[in-house]
Amino acid sequence: MKLGFSAEEELFRQECAEWLQGQMAGEFRDIKGISTLTAKAERRKEWEQQLAAHKWSCIGWPSEWGGRDATLAQQVIFAEEYARAGVPGRVNHIGIELAGPTILAFGTEEQKQRFLPGIAAGQTIFCQGFSEPGAGSDLASVRTKGRLENGEWVVNGQKIWTSLAHISDWIFVVTRTEEGSKGPKGLTFLMMELDQPGIEVRGIKQINGDAEFNETFFTDARCAADSMIGGVGEGWKIAMGLLAFERGVSTLGQQMAFRNELDEIIAAAKETGAARNPLIRQRIAKAEIGLRLMRYGALRMLSNTDHSKIDGAALTYKIQWATWRRSLGELAMDVLGQAGELAEGADYEWPVLSNLFLYSRADTIYGGTNQIQRNLIAERGLGLPREPRGDA
Amino acid sequence: MDFRFTDDQLTLAESVRDYLAGTHGPEVLRRLDAEGNRDPAIWQGLTEMGLTGLLVPEEHGGLGLGLVEAALIAAECGRACLAEPLVDTAFVAVPWLVRNGDLADLGAIAAGERQMPLPHVLNPWVADGEGSALESVDPLRNLVMFPAAGSADPYLLDLGALMSAAQLVGLADAMLHQAVEYAKIRTQFGQPVGAFQALKHQLASCAVAVEFAKPAVWRAAEALQDGGESASVHVSHAKVAASDAAVLTAETAIQVHGAMGYTYEVDLHFWMKRSWALNGAWGDRAWHLKRIDQAVIGGTMPIGPEHTFA
Ligand SMILES: Cc1cc2nc3c(=O)[nH]c(=O)nc-3n(C[C@H](O)[C@H](O)[C@H](O)COP(=O)(O)OP(=O)(O)OC[C@H]3O[C@@H](n4cnc5c(N)ncnc54)[C@H](O)[C@@H]3O)c2cc1C
Repeated sequence: MKLGFSAEEELFRQECAEWLQGQMAGEFRDIKGISTLTAKAERRKEWEQQLAAHKWSCIGWPSEWGGRDATLAQQVIFAEEYARAGVPGRVNHIGIELAGPTILAFGTEEQKQRFLPGIAAGQTIFCQGFSEPGAGSDLASVRTKGRLENGEWVVNGQKIWTSLAHISDWIFVVTRTEEGSKGPKGLTFLMMELDQPGIEVRGIKQINGDAEFNETFFTDARCAADSMIGGVGEGWKIAMGLLAFERGVSTLGQQMAFRNELDEIIAAAKETGAARNPLIRQRIAKAEIGLRLMRYGALRMLSNTDHSKIDGAALTYKIQWATWRRSLGELAMDVLGQAGELAEGADYEWPVLSNLFLYSRADTIYGGTNQIQRNLIAERGLGLPREPRGDA
Repeated sequence: MDFRFTDDQLTLAESVRDYLAGTHGPEVLRRLDAEGNRDPAIWQGLTEMGLTGLLVPEEHGGLGLGLVEAALIAAECGRACLAEPLVDTAFVAVPWLVRNGDLADLGAIAAGERQMPLPHVLNPWVADGEGSALESVDPLRNLVMFPAAGSADPYLLDLGALMSAAQLVGLADAMLHQAVEYAKIRTQFGQPVGAFQALKHQLASCAVAVEFAKPAVWRAAEALQDGGESASVHVSHAKVAASDAAVLTAETAIQVHGAMGYTYEVDLHFWMKRSWALNGAWGDRAWHLKRIDQAVIGGTMPIGPEHTFA
């Protein structure tokens, strides 16, 4: 165990901090501290390009593809300084953290050349087309159809909950390409350009008033035959490989954002006097412990260099942070009292902590609900008998 | 920055685990409970493994290892529900004596000739002290009340709390294992009861609590070894997290066993009662939560954007 950072790493931290804080005090000060995913989308695309211009857009990627071959510690440091500087979330996080690594792992040389430079440069924003109205937790039951026709894939069907589709350039979709197939068999993973007549995106309004996710309709939508990652019928394998990247280093940056949220709650508790209430104090202490546990759990998960092996830390990570953050939202509301129920603007615009309460209800749903996580932990981690599996 | 153990540390912990699994199974706990709780042969075995001298400096006949190794082994002691006062003597008293420059007894401790459970003002009852034993909820604990109040040194308290936390994660692991194995073989309604989500999800929640408590314990051991100023708060994180994990797992494991879980016949209760005892030892949950809230809200621990939180 070696828990500190080296002198060299601290220098790197300084470099990150200076650049990021400089940006947030200078050219990009108008986006500092934005907490929703959708606000000022155009400026945030420019921010993606600014990151790329200074080689900060995908530091964990190989240098030949625009990254820096950054070590785990460097990625952790960058993610921490990013959150600390109050930089808003990445509108291309799906491209950088999911699509890019998937193409690197499973794409052909030609596909790498076609997609990676655009993603790294912040020019190609990606979104994720997995869920459908009839296929949520049971992802393998997707029905959106793909067929090959004159050297092109033709896609028909509907995706839903597609985050940021309305500001994205490309979408990756899991399609059923083998007629009559069921479950994880007969699926194919396609990359499609959104700006085409066959694709229509309609926003869905959320409980916090924002509309981050969308319905995405495919009516004879098209993409080139070689826009498929992996082979025909290998879509499930690719989709599962992609989901494994979700446990990436960004989780540590996310924790720095959580740290900021908890600090803000503590500050509010002092201000409102809630900090004198022993029950609130105890919940704050518990929140602090939970944050620490997450921190160490994530470091342990990421220290495991054998990423093919899903260990106990990796298996339990999602439910731990999601559940923690949901109760953080509840704590925030109890600290603020009724003042937390007042919007900042007439158009249902919420202060950060109230938005946290509303938004964190989604944390235990997306990326595998808590119930699904418990099934996985019980079955894969503890070896308990399996759940019934749809038609698989 | 790396959260892994060295191969040496892992090998050491594994050898202790194997040794205890081979020599200190549940049948030993039952025999001890029937025959007066202590068997010198067990202490002899632990001494021969070098465990009594694990933290004793080499020039005093020990192995001179650190608190991270000790915490790993304390977890193994918890897993085996070891009742001998190894952790109290070798992992709590020894580092405290060394810190105080009180070296006279170290040789005897390393040689297995001396046991030294220490009282603390927060913890006036100790196991295996001299005097007539009180009846403890943990049937294998020879609890005595020390006549004079113990030390008030926070370092002693931190050592005791850390090593209790380490034992608690080992206890929790063992209870989870027992419950999972039972859930796989007990059938009702034509299927293993472990196939029912109502049980499966509770067991998964235990797994989450245990998996996340472990690194908090290792982190606290590292912090206390380094002696940084926030070490005490790290210890409190570990104690609360490990107590929560062990208590949740104990409750769940009994429920999973049905009526069997309520019997003396099933081994589980030895682990459950040790967890109960350690949960309250060296500062209970309320005490440690208070120490954390004072640090976080009272401002004794630096927070805010200018600090990292490794
Ligand atoms: C904010 C947000 C953003 C999202 N972004 C995207 C995106 O960009 N792209 C994308 O593809 N998807 C996205 N999703 C969708 C997300 O992946 C799904 O919501 C999720 O997989 C759950 O599916 P569902 O909503 O259909 O719930 P359902 O699967 O219908 O579940 C309903 C309830 O049943 C429970 N349940 C289901 N199966 C079981 C079982 N076997 N055992 C026990 N309980 C069960 C669930 O836990 C849940 O409580 C997003 C969702 C949210 C909330």
